[in-house]
Amino acid sequence: MAPTVGGNPLRDPRDRRLPRLPDASALVVFGVTGDLSRKKLIPAVYDLANRGLLPPGFVLLGFARRDWEGHEPFIEFARECAEKGARTPFREETWDGLAASIRFVRGSFDDDAGFDRLAEELRSLESSHGIRGNAAFYLSIPPSAFPVVLKQMERTGLADEKTAGGWRRVVVEKPFGHDARSARELNSLVDTVFGPQDVFRIDHYLGKETVQNLFALRFANTLFEPIWNSQFVDSVQITMAEDVGIGTRAGFYDETGAARDVLQNHLLQLLALTAMEEPVSFGADTIRAEKIKTLRAVSLPTDLASYAIRGQYEQGWLAGERVKGYLDEENIPATSTTETYAAVRLGIETRRWAGVPFYLRTGKRLPRRVTEIAISFKQAPHLPFDATDTTELGHNQLVVRVQPDEGVTLKFGSKVPGTAMEVRDVAMEFLFGEAFTESLPEAYERLILDALLGDAMLFPDNAEVEESWRIIDPLEEFWATTKPYPYRAGSWGPTAADEMLARDGRHWRRP
Amino acid sequence: MTTLWDTTGSAVVKALGAERRAAGALAFGLALTLVVVVDEKNVGAAESAASAAQAAHPCRLLIVVRRQVDAPHPRLDAEVSIGGRLGPGEAVVMRMSGRLALHAESVVLPLLASDAPVVTWWYDEPPTRIAFDPLGVFADRRVTDVSTAPDPLHALKLRAADFEPGDTDLAWTRISGWRTLLAAAFDGRHDHPASARVEADPADPSAQLFAGWLRARFDVPVDVAPAGSHRGLHGVRVAVEDGEVAVTRTDARSGTITRPGVPPRRLPLPQLGLGDLLAEELRRLDDDVVYADALATWSGIADLARRSGHREHIWRDPMTVAATAVPSEGAPSEA
Repeated sequence: MAPTVGGNPLRDPRDRRLPRLPDASALVVFGVTGDLSRKKLIPAVYDLANRGLLPPGFVLLGFARRDWEGHEPFIEFARECAEKGARTPFREETWDGLAASIRFVRGSFDDDAGFDRLAEELRSLESSHGIRGNAAFYLSIPPSAFPVVLKQMERTGLADEKTAGGWRRVVVEKPFGHDARSARELNSLVDTVFGPQDVFRIDHYLGKETVQNLFALRFANTLFEPIWNSQFVDSVQITMAEDVGIGTRAGFYDETGAARDVLQNHLLQLLALTAMEEPVSFGADTIRAEKIKTLRAVSLPTDLASYAIRGQYEQGWLAGERVKGYLDEENIPATSTTETYAAVRLGIETRRWAGVPFYLRTGKRLPRRVTEIAISFKQAPHLPFDATDTTELGHNQLVVRVQPDEGVTLKFGSKVPGTAMEVRDVAMEFLFGEAFTESLPEAYERLILDALLGDAMLFPDNAEVEESWRIIDPLEEFWATTKPYPYRAGSWGPTAADEMLARDGRHWRRP
Repeated sequence: MTTLWDTTGSAVVKALGAERRAAGALAFGLALTLVVVVDEKNVGAAESAASAAQAAHPCRLLIVVRRQVDAPHPRLDAEVSIGGRLGPGEAVVMRMSGRLALHAESVVLPLLASDAPVVTWWYDEPPTRIAFDPLGVFADRRVTDVSTAPDPLHALKLRAADFEPGDTDLAWTRISGWRTLLAAAFDGRHDHPASARVEADPADPSAQLFAGWLRARFDVPVDVAPAGSHRGLHGVRVAVEDGEVAVTRTDARSGTITRPGVPPRRLPLPQLGLGDLLAEELRRLDDDVVYADALATWSGIADLARRSGHREHIWRDPMTVAATAVPSEGAPSEA
C-alpha cells in the first residue's frame, strides 16, 4: 500500500504537486482594522486563497471596535485591503469564495458582551463552515492590551482546546516585552492561557526565503560548513539598514529605540541562524534547541563605551530629498535620547566561534534599505606573490543578501588579465529571482500558513526571546546614562561606529 | 537578437556566447535547459507557452523545429536572443531540414547549459517511443501531451508501455488542481469509500488518469462517465459511508467542494494554460512516483515506478519506416 499522510488516502508524502493545506480552521484577528492587518495580514490571506493554499473550511474572523452592522462592511473593508496590498492578481472568483467565509464581530477588549459574541460566532462556524473547533488568534494589538484580551479569552473558554474540540493557537507580534522581566511576564501570561506549544511569535524576517536558504546553504552543501568556524572566519557583519525615518510610529519608537526594535529580535535571530550548530533534524524543536544554545553563548564586550555605539540621525539629504532630524520629527521631545542607530560587537563563546567578532548594526535614515549577513574570511596565511601584486586583495567574503535582491555573493581574488601578476577582488552573484520562480512568497503568507499548519520551525520560542533580552538589557542599562552620537541622515551612521571597527583593524562593509 | 541563415551548430554556439556577453548583467544563473520539440505550424503557440514558463523558471530555451526531412540538402537556420520576444531569458529557435533533422542532437548538445538538468517537451503528438528521439534520450525529464494525439487514449497506453521514471504527461498536470481540492475534501475525514465516479468524456486522458489515481489510492472501483452535455472534466464524486464527497466545476476559475454535513465551499480551480502547465512541470525535476502509480493502475502494467529510468537511443529513419509502424522491442540498428 502506498504511504499516506494524516489518514487521508489521497495524500502521499511523495506527491509534491499537492500543496500542504492546514486543517479547517478560523483565523481570528484582533485589531483587524489596524495598520498591520490592512497592509499585511488581509492581503496575505487573500494571496494564500488565490494560490489555493487555504483549506475548504477556512474562515477569517475580524474583531474590532468599529461600529459595523453585520459582516458586510468588514467584507468591503477587507476587499479594499486585498485589492491594494495583494501580491497576486485580484480575481473576483477568488474573492467571492473567500468573502463567503469572512465574518466580523464588534467589540472592544474590555467589553464582555463582545467576547461572548465572538465565542458564539466561533461555535456557530462549527456547523456553518465545519471548522471543527480549530482556531488561531492573531493578536495584532499593542502589548499593553494583551492581559485584558487574554483574560477575556480565558473567561469565555476561547483558549480551551478541550471544550473547543480542536486546536487553539495564538499568534503574537513583536515587541515581546521591553526587557527580560517584562518579556518573562508576558510569556508566562500567554503561555498559561494557551500552553507554550500553541504560542507562535512572529519575527517576519524568519519568513523570508533567504533566511530559510541559510539552512540550505549551510547544511545541504559540503562547500561552506568546513570553513564555517574561527579557524577560517575573520569576522561576521550583520546589517539591517533602513532609508525611512520613524514614520507615524513616533510614540512607540521614542519609547523603544533601534536596539529594542530591531537588534533584540531580527538581528539576534539572524545571528543565531548564522552561528548555530547543525540541528539533528529539520524540525521546530531541534532547530530551536540549536538556536538557544547559540544565544546562550553570546557574550558582550567588556568595554561597552568602545564597542556598543548608538546614534541618532540629524537632518540631512537622502535620495535627493531633504529630510528632518530625529528631534525635529513630529511628536518627538526635543530632549529625546532614543537611538535610531545601534552597532555592537558580540562574541560567541564556543569552540567554533571563540575569538570571532560578530558586528551587528541597524539604523534608520541610512543611504539604502538593505539587510545582509556578511562572513569575512581570514587572509591566506602565506601569499607567494610580491607584496605589490596583492595590494588590492581584500578578505574573501560570503554575503547572504536577505533583502532586497535576495541572493548570495561570493567575493574572492582573481588575476587581472595582463602581463603583470596582479590580484584583485571579484564578486560572483547568485540571485534568487534569476534561478527560481519569479514571485517569492511574502513572509506573512508563509508565517500565517505555518501557524495554521502548526509548524513552529520559523517562530522563536519564549526561551529565545528571554535569552535575547539577557543580551540587550546590559546594553540598555549602559546606554541609559549616555547620549547617542549624532549622524547625518543619508550617511552610514556615526563616526564612532567606524572607529569601533578601525580599532579592531577592520571596516564596515558598504552594503 | 541574432538571426543566422543556413548556418552551423558552432556558429550558433558562438552567437549565443556573444549575446550573453552583450547582455552583461542580464546573463542568467542557469538552473536548467528546456528543449521544445515542435512542428512548424505550431511554433507560435509553443513559443508563447515556453516563454511564459521561462518567466517563472528562468532557463535556457532551445526550440527545435524539424521540417522536410526529405529535402535534398541539410540546412540549419537559427535565431538567438536574450531578453527579446521569447521572454526574459536566453532562447534559441532552430529550424532544421533535410537529414540534419534526424540528427538534431548534434546541434543541441553543445548548447545545453553545463551540468544543469535538461527537460524535453514535445508540443505535438508524442513519439511512439521516446528512445526514437535523441532529444528525449539525454533529457532528465520528459514531458509529453497525449491530448494532441488523434487517439489520446491509445497514445496514453503507449506512454505507459514506454514509461521510464522522469516521464510525465500534461494530461496528468491538468488534474493537479482537481486532485488538490479532492484531497482537501478528505482532510480530517477517516473514510472507507465504496466507489467513485469521474464525470467526463471517457475518451479524455486526464479523466482516465484521474480514475487510475483514485483506484490506486482508494482501492475501489472507479468509472468515467459523461455528465450531461458538459465538455471536459466536470466533476468527481466519491461515495462514502455518510453520503458523497464531490468536487464539481463551478466556472472556468473555480470549483465547489460538497461534503456531508458541511455547506458546500467554492475554491479556486483555474483552467491552466499551456504555459502554466509547463511551469508546474519545471518546478519539480525529480520523477513523479504518484503519476507512475496512477498510470500503472490505469494501464494494468505493474511497477512502472521501478523501471530503471535509462534509455538508449534507437535509430529509426522515417524515410524507410512506414508512418504507422508498431513499436518493436529493442533491435537497435545503425543508420
